[in-house]
This record gives sequence, structure tokens and C-alpha cells, in this order.
Amino acid sequence: MTSGLAGRGVGVAGASTPPPAVDDVLDVRGLRTEFVGKEGTVSAVRNVSFTVRRAEKVAVVGESGCGKSALALSILGLIEPPGRVVGGEIWLNGRDISRFSERELRAVRGNEISLVFQDPMSALDPVKTIGAQIVEAIQRHQPNLGRRGAQGLALSLLREVEVPNAERRLNDYPHQYSGGMRQRVMIAIALANEPDLLIADEPTTALDVTTQAQVLDLLEKLVSDRGAAVVLITHNLGIVAEFCDRVQVMYAGRFVERAGVEDVFRRPTHPYTEALLRSVPRPDRLELGPLPSIPGSPPNLAHLPAGCTFEPRCPLGHGREICATVPPPPIQVGNPARVVAECHFARERWEAGEAS
Amino acid sequence: MRHGMPRLIAGRTLSSLSAIFGASLISFIFLRLVPGNPARLFLGQFASQDAVDKLVEQMGLKDPIYVQYYKYMWGFLRGDWGFSYTTGQPVTTQLGHRLPATIELGLYAFLFAFVGAVALAVIATYRRRPVVDGSVRAMSFFGLGTPPFWFGLVLLVVFSERLHLFPGPDGRLSIDSTQPPSITGLYTVDALVTGNFATFADALWHIVLPAIALGLAPLAFLVRLLRANLLDVSREPFIVVVRSKGIGRFSAFARHALPNAFLPTLTAAGLILGQLLAGSVLVEKVFNWPGAGALVTDGILRQDYAVVQAFILLSAVVYVVVNLVVDILYGVIDPRVRVVTAVA
Repeated sequence: MTSGLAGRGVGVAGASTPPPAVDDVLDVRGLRTEFVGKEGTVSAVRNVSFTVRRAEKVAVVGESGCGKSALALSILGLIEPPGRVVGGEIWLNGRDISRFSERELRAVRGNEISLVFQDPMSALDPVKTIGAQIVEAIQRHQPNLGRRGAQGLALSLLREVEVPNAERRLNDYPHQYSGGMRQRVMIAIALANEPDLLIADEPTTALDVTTQAQVLDLLEKLVSDRGAAVVLITHNLGIVAEFCDRVQVMYAGRFVERAGVEDVFRRPTHPYTEALLRSVPRPDRLELGPLPSIPGSPPNLAHLPAGCTFEPRCPLGHGREICATVPPPPIQVGNPARVVAECHFARERWEAGEAS
Repeated sequence: MRHGMPRLIAGRTLSSLSAIFGASLISFIFLRLVPGNPARLFLGQFASQDAVDKLVEQMGLKDPIYVQYYKYMWGFLRGDWGFSYTTGQPVTTQLGHRLPATIELGLYAFLFAFVGAVALAVIATYRRRPVVDGSVRAMSFFGLGTPPFWFGLVLLVVFSERLHLFPGPDGRLSIDSTQPPSITGLYTVDALVTGNFATFADALWHIVLPAIALGLAPLAFLVRLLRANLLDVSREPFIVVVRSKGIGRFSAFARHALPNAFLPTLTAAGLILGQLLAGSVLVEKVFNWPGAGALVTDGILRQDYAVVQAFILLSAVVYVVVNLVVDILYGVIDPRVRVVTAVA
């Protein structure tokens, strides 16, 4: 994270960048993450900026392979070689943790930010008891509790995430838990040290639908009890509508649209957002025929198109000169500005939406 | 689930006993199928046919084979392993002299292979430096392809002949060292418990080269296995989750990746230990090591049933017991094994 000046948009970092507003838990500025592979350098996160306020729930939505998980790991400083965060700042509670040493980061991880991982089946160590894995997180950041205290806290956390027979199940191993129960354990681990920010990377994707709803309700209750902010990474728009305050739509490593939940669902500004929404199954649209899908597949992040990254798949821009050649800048629409979309036709689309 | 471990142990012990039974049966039958008359061997070629026939009767070789087997096994269990047909000595005496040397060498070779493999695999995978990883892999390739007796000779030439760092092929001790009292028969152990440090150092000094020669191939094999397992486990999502709790890279590696990667290695290590305890004839020859290897090869060449039979049976018991211990250890480390057995 040393040579990212080009991505910051501000001259010399640090001194000239103003510290973020006090009520921002997280302020990511110009974050860029690359992976060096056989096909060349793949830009998984391309100059992404966003903020998360206290107790706010923000969604990051996009197809698989658009860079969502790389974004989560970049914020936590857990990108492993051949990947590398090449630029940007990550302000957490007023400190730029992108400049932190590994040692300083370890004090932040699991304490101020924590992670709920997507696949509960492989997210727990199969040869350690559930209790030991919760206690490990507690003892790392609250050593003064002692062994007893940590075990007591682990038990009350397990009760809080509504695992039945918590006392007995503390000594069970992951394979004795169902998928939904494991995800509850993951939430218990993530909340163990009362973090200010929880990054939930597809927390319900691997679960069946009834379990999804339960886990999500539980997550919502626990984070609002604690006043923690949440970045919810998902491709499931149904969850977003229910759970989040704001939405950032990610495509090919960039946020192509940032807006409130209402705006995104009522009048999507970016054509990609609109296409995503149209591919959500809805019972009231059954008679309209088969579910529309987005033609084509996400671009190869190693060889991005010259213009707008969505242009080859875009019903609006496809074939238009400007879309194929010029990368669209972020355009603010609404009065006062409430939606940012990276589309050359954002303004027209917004106005058309207002008229209808 | 709660009764997983006792059930696991009982089940595995039962199957171990049946494995030993099978091994004894097969080795017994095969040795009897080999042509040749042990009574004739024992008495020499100038003995009269009458004397030979009489001895055959005496040795019970006229009995049906299952009676012979029953008599042999009953004797074996009571510590009566028969007499060597060529020397007339009891087999227990003969093996008793030779086995401790083989076992001591096998244990040190295993120690070298196991500790070396863990160290090298950790070094190769922890930092993920291609150069380090590449050299470890090249070393294991070399180790797997090198015949141990040749490697033993090379070690002798380099470290004994040229550098004079280690003794030549003169067995377990230098001539001027006092032999430790026989407690376990393992010189290093016996010397240490009786406080004879000079002999301990001498015995250790003598065992280094043969142990390395014998342990190289198992080391190479274990490195490959453990390295592959470590790489697999380090890519598991739960390692990222552990790191996201604020646990450092090394702790995540040592406390989570290593125990998981260890499981398949443990099985292989058990098989290897069993093999190493059975000894290696060629390495023993190269280092003039007074182990059971030479005794058994001579026994085979001279059709000395009793020695070969006892050695095979003993090796089978050791092999099966080592693997039984591994199975039980597996259950201790991996909770999933306990459940599988409990269900079965």
C-alpha cells in the first residue's frame, strides 16, 4: 500500500487528506487491489471509495467474480500473495489502517472489524471444538477476562445466537453442527469483541431459504443491539431490500452505482443495476415469461474494455461510440444529490425515471 | 459419541488381532511350502536316513499342518520360539541379541525422518518462497530416488573417510567403549539411564550415519505428503477466518493448519515406522550393524524356518501395533473419526 498515489485523487497522502467525519466508522478512499497471475495483472478492486456511518447497514451487490470478496479481504488486510493492495486509504474510526503494520492490524481484526465468512461449512476448523474457536477470538482481544471469563462469554454468545443446548454444544465439533448452526457460531465469533464494523461476505448464500431468513433476522437483531455497522456483501437483492440502508452495486471491481435502497429498487440509474433487478424472480411477473438474465458474462479483469466495462452487455450503450471508448465518470444525480452512477447516460435515465 | 473413543479402541484392537492371526497363518503356510527338509539341514548331509526320519518325527513335521501351526503358536505365545536348525541355539536368544540393534536404528531413523520432514515441510510452505519450496522439493526427489545402501556408502566416504566427523562402519560402539548394562537393549537409552554419558555419546555418534541413510527415503516421502497437505489446508477458508479474529500468521499456521495437515501424514508415518523397525539388511551390512537383518537373510538362505518364522511374526506384530496406535491417535486428533466409528 505504498505506491497508490495515482488512485487517491489527492496529492500527497496523509497530511493533505482530511480525516474522515467522526460518525464514519469506515472511510475507504481509492482502494485498489491487484492479483498477479499467468494472464497478467488482474485488477480485482479498481479505485473504490465509500463510507459507512455508525450503525449503518450498507450492501455491496454484484455477480460472482466482480471483486466483492477481494474488497472485504483488502479492508481486513488479509489479501495474500499473489494478491496485493496497491493503493488507497482505509480509515477506520479515524485512523488509516492501510498504513498499519501487520502487528497493529492484528489488534484491529476481530476487535474493531470482524468478518462473517460465506461458507459456514468450511469456515470453522474441523479439529477444534466450537467453544475453543469462540474462546480463541475472545482471548485474543480480551486477555484480562482469563480462561474462565472467556468461556463464560463464549457460552452467553452461543446462547445469544440461539444455539439450543448451548452449554453442551460448546464442546461439540463443527461437523456436529448444521450449516445454519455453524453460521450462528460464525456470527457469535464475529460479535465476540463488540466490533464497530462487521463485514458479512455472503453470510446466507450456502443456507436454505428458511434458515437464511432466521440467520438474517438474528444478525439484524444482534448488530442493532450493539450499534455495529454492517457491510453486507451479497448477490441476493432480496436480502438487500430487507436488511440494508444503502446499496453499492459492484461491477468489474468498481462501484457503478451507489444509492439508497429505495432509489435502487424504485428507479435504478445504472443499466447494470436495472438488469440485476430484472433477473430477480418475482411471483407477480410470472406471466411475463421466462426470467430475464444478463447476456454475456462479467469482463475478464485482466483485459478490461477501453470504455465502460458494462458496454459489451449493456442494452443501452452497446454500439454507442462514447460507451465503447470513454470510461464513464461518476455522475451525481438527484436534487440534492442522492445517487452516484458511473454511466454516461445517468442523468437522462434519472430524469426519465422522475417523469414516470 | 460420548463412547466414541473406547469403542474405537476396542474395534481397532479386534481388527489388529485378526491381522496378526492372518499374517501368522500365511507366513507359516508359505514357509512350509518351500521345498527342503529341515531335519536333513540340521543333521548335515552325511547323517543316515534313519536319523533324519527320526528327527522329522521328533520335530513334529509329520503332524498335519494345522497341528503344527497350533503347536507353534502356543509355543510362541509362551515365549518358546523354537531352535535354530543351523546353530541349535534357541531363537529367542538369537533374536534377543540382534533385535535391539535393529529397533534402535529404526527408531533413530524414524526420528530423523519425522522431525526432518515436519521442519522441511513447514519451511517450504510457511513463507511461500518459490526458491525455498523448490529446493525442498528437489531434495525430496533426490531422497526418494536414492538407494539407502548407496547413500550409506556415500555418507561413510564423506563424513568418516574424508572429514573424520563420524566413525567408520564399526557397529554400535567403539572398541574401547564399555557396553552399557542391558536394560532395554537400546544402547543410547541404557547408557543414559545408568548415567554413562561417555558411552551414550559414543553410541549416538555411531548411530547418526546409519540412521540418516535409513531415514532419507521415508523423510523424502513424508516431506512430499506433508507439504502437499499443508498447502491444501492453508488455502482453506477457515484459515482466513482464524486470521480475521486477529490471530497472527504463524499462530494460524501452527495451531490450525498444521494439526489438520498432520492427519494423513500420521497414517503414513505409522506405516514407515513399522517398516523401519523391521530393519534394512543392506544398510545394516554397509554399517556393520549387528541387527536382525543379517540373521534373517542367513536364515532364509539356510531354510532356517524357526528364525525366519519368528522374525516375520514379530514384524507383523510390531507393524500392526504401531498402526493400532496411529489409529487411536487419529481418533484423539480428529473428532470426525470417532463419530464414524460410533455410527459403524
